[in-house]
Amino acid sequence: MVVDEGVRALFNPRSIAVIGASRHPGKIGYMILKNILDYGYKGRVYPVNPKADEILGLKAYKRVSEIPDEVDMAVIVVPEKYVLEVAEDAGRKGVKVLVVITSGFAEVGNVEAEEKLVEIARKYGMRVLGPNIFGIAYTPINLNATFGPRDLLKGPIAFISQSGALGIALMGWTIMEEIGVSAIVSMGNMSDIDVVDAAEYLADDPNTKVITIYLEGLKPGTGRRFVEKMRSITRRKPVIVIKAGRSRRGAMAAASHTGSLAGSDQLYSAAFKQSGVLRAYTTDDMFDWARVFATQPLPGGEETIIITNGGGVGVLATDTAEEHSVKLLDPSPGLKEKFRETMPWFGSPKNPVDLTGQAVEENYAKALEVAFESDEIHNIVILYCRTAILDPRSLADTIVEVVKKYGNSKPVVVGMVGGIDTYEAMRKLNQNGIPAYFGAERAVAALAALIKYYRYISKKHG
Amino acid sequence: MDPREIVGKALEEGRRKLLEHEALEIVKAYGAPIAEAKLAKDPEEAVKIADEIGYPVVLKIVSPDISHKSDVGGVIVGLKNHSQVLEAAKKIFENVRRNAPKARITGLLVQKMAPPGLEVIVGGLRDNVFGPVVMFGLGGIFVEVLKDVSFRIAPITEEDAYEMMKEIKSAKLLEGYRGQPPVDKKSLAKIIIAVAKLLEENEEVESIDLNPIIAYPDSAVVVDARVILRLK
Repeated sequence: MVVDEGVRALFNPRSIAVIGASRHPGKIGYMILKNILDYGYKGRVYPVNPKADEILGLKAYKRVSEIPDEVDMAVIVVPEKYVLEVAEDAGRKGVKVLVVITSGFAEVGNVEAEEKLVEIARKYGMRVLGPNIFGIAYTPINLNATFGPRDLLKGPIAFISQSGALGIALMGWTIMEEIGVSAIVSMGNMSDIDVVDAAEYLADDPNTKVITIYLEGLKPGTGRRFVEKMRSITRRKPVIVIKAGRSRRGAMAAASHTGSLAGSDQLYSAAFKQSGVLRAYTTDDMFDWARVFATQPLPGGEETIIITNGGGVGVLATDTAEEHSVKLLDPSPGLKEKFRETMPWFGSPKNPVDLTGQAVEENYAKALEVAFESDEIHNIVILYCRTAILDPRSLADTIVEVVKKYGNSKPVVVGMVGGIDTYEAMRKLNQNGIPAYFGAERAVAALAALIKYYRYISKKHG
Repeated sequence: MDPREIVGKALEEGRRKLLEHEALEIVKAYGAPIAEAKLAKDPEEAVKIADEIGYPVVLKIVSPDISHKSDVGGVIVGLKNHSQVLEAAKKIFENVRRNAPKARITGLLVQKMAPPGLEVIVGGLRDNVFGPVVMFGLGGIFVEVLKDVSFRIAPITEEDAYEMMKEIKSAKLLEGYRGQPPVDKKSLAKIIIAVAKLLEENEEVESIDLNPIIAYPDSAVVVDARVILRLK
């Protein structure tokens, strides 16, 4: 596939101009420049500000066209009334992509200025991200051209957001939750580069394993392209979308019976199904699933085993499995015999495999080894309830060790219930690439998303 | 008549809605089985057509000015022989003259009565974002009250059509219940695909309702079709 030069420059610019860079902390033009510098971007950076000689230790230029170097990306932070002028200057300079942070365009009804902006960009062969965005981050090259939090954790999850505020908020949240990201792209008004363009680039990005999208709505007439392109993207990488605005469409097509029934949300649902996009209904779900895709291999089949130290969470996991069509293995007599050897005499070797409240690290380790060794089992769910005799942090170490020994050969998810030390254990697991969640339900639901995608990928496509 | 001609003629006459016989003809042209129907100019011709297509039949007034045919006494069902048809045809013309004196009358549609079966709905429309989309659901309360329908973005495959049928909450009714055999899903899939294709190939068509379609174990027929056009 031919990658558009402008879109490539968006993720891999060799040089960046920040037009409207500011000397005053608290200004967006300052924050963006500071993020770019502090997060360790290795390319050349040029502040542009007609009133300053130097900003953050860098020589400032009056206009982009004065910069004695090629400029791949221009981040525009100037007030709306100057945007067209600086865009024109950037075009003459040969800039490849404009990242227009500035608001005050189509989102407030100023469609004309937005159309002019795109027109200028087309004239000079530039692409446009925005306007009305918080920026772009691409961690493999230490690029954080946003006014969000600085210290993004690197990882394989890409996040494309059509909402600015939510996007920034989630940037901070991913850092807290230790969710590593490859890219964060703010879409804003999508005057030119849209969700599909960004996803298409990331589909072939070796640093991205899963693409998450917060979507508010597609532009008129672009729905079919979304379905067609996403169909191909999802064959390469899992895409998880959370779609806001589930309200019903107005009276637009109420002239027909079908029209009165066609809520726009149902059409989005259909589009996601037809294109293999996984739909999450909460941000929790989206990142729960993304964690599994980011760290776990695709399964070799659907048979799933649950290993637990408590009957209650085992039943909850079983219920969730049934709700999400996760197939629980009925172990063969031979396999049951092997599980029997990992537990006290009053345990249960059926599925869920109940190691009982007496279980310690060794019981879990042995049961997990049996699960990895058995050809009957494709997916493993480990559950733990805090007990007095087993410290969850120590259990986490054990799980990490066994999973490492088997080289991540089968998907593993962990669900834990308990207090602060349990959270520490989950943190440890997540840091070691084993998705761990509070509670059995979230763990099973996350695994269900992986299995759903496995089913989609395994299906023959004609 | 060719679908393009039907649409072209309606637009030429400034009609946003196809007449019922035109709507049935256009969906038939795309491979959807319809309950056989023909347009009669007068009661005598209605009898002739009824004899031809076989009893029982239903008579419906066809007029560009009447959208709720039953409200003006323009529909009579269950006609079993030619004297009943003759009498009903005269009565319909009389009713319409009285209740809608200014309406232009195109004729009388004579349509074969479809025996009872499972009522389903297939629809389609042109969405602002997604373009042509199709809908499937079961008739009556399932659509009216429960809004139990499924959608797909066109173009669709046969597999998509089957998934649409599987996806509705009342899907089990298609499999037959209380000892009934399952309905003919292949015929329904054909109708769904026909609607998608019709919308794809006729930009002027804004929406389609095939309601009801009656499904049987070995076939399905479109009984009523409503096609709305976009005026340019």
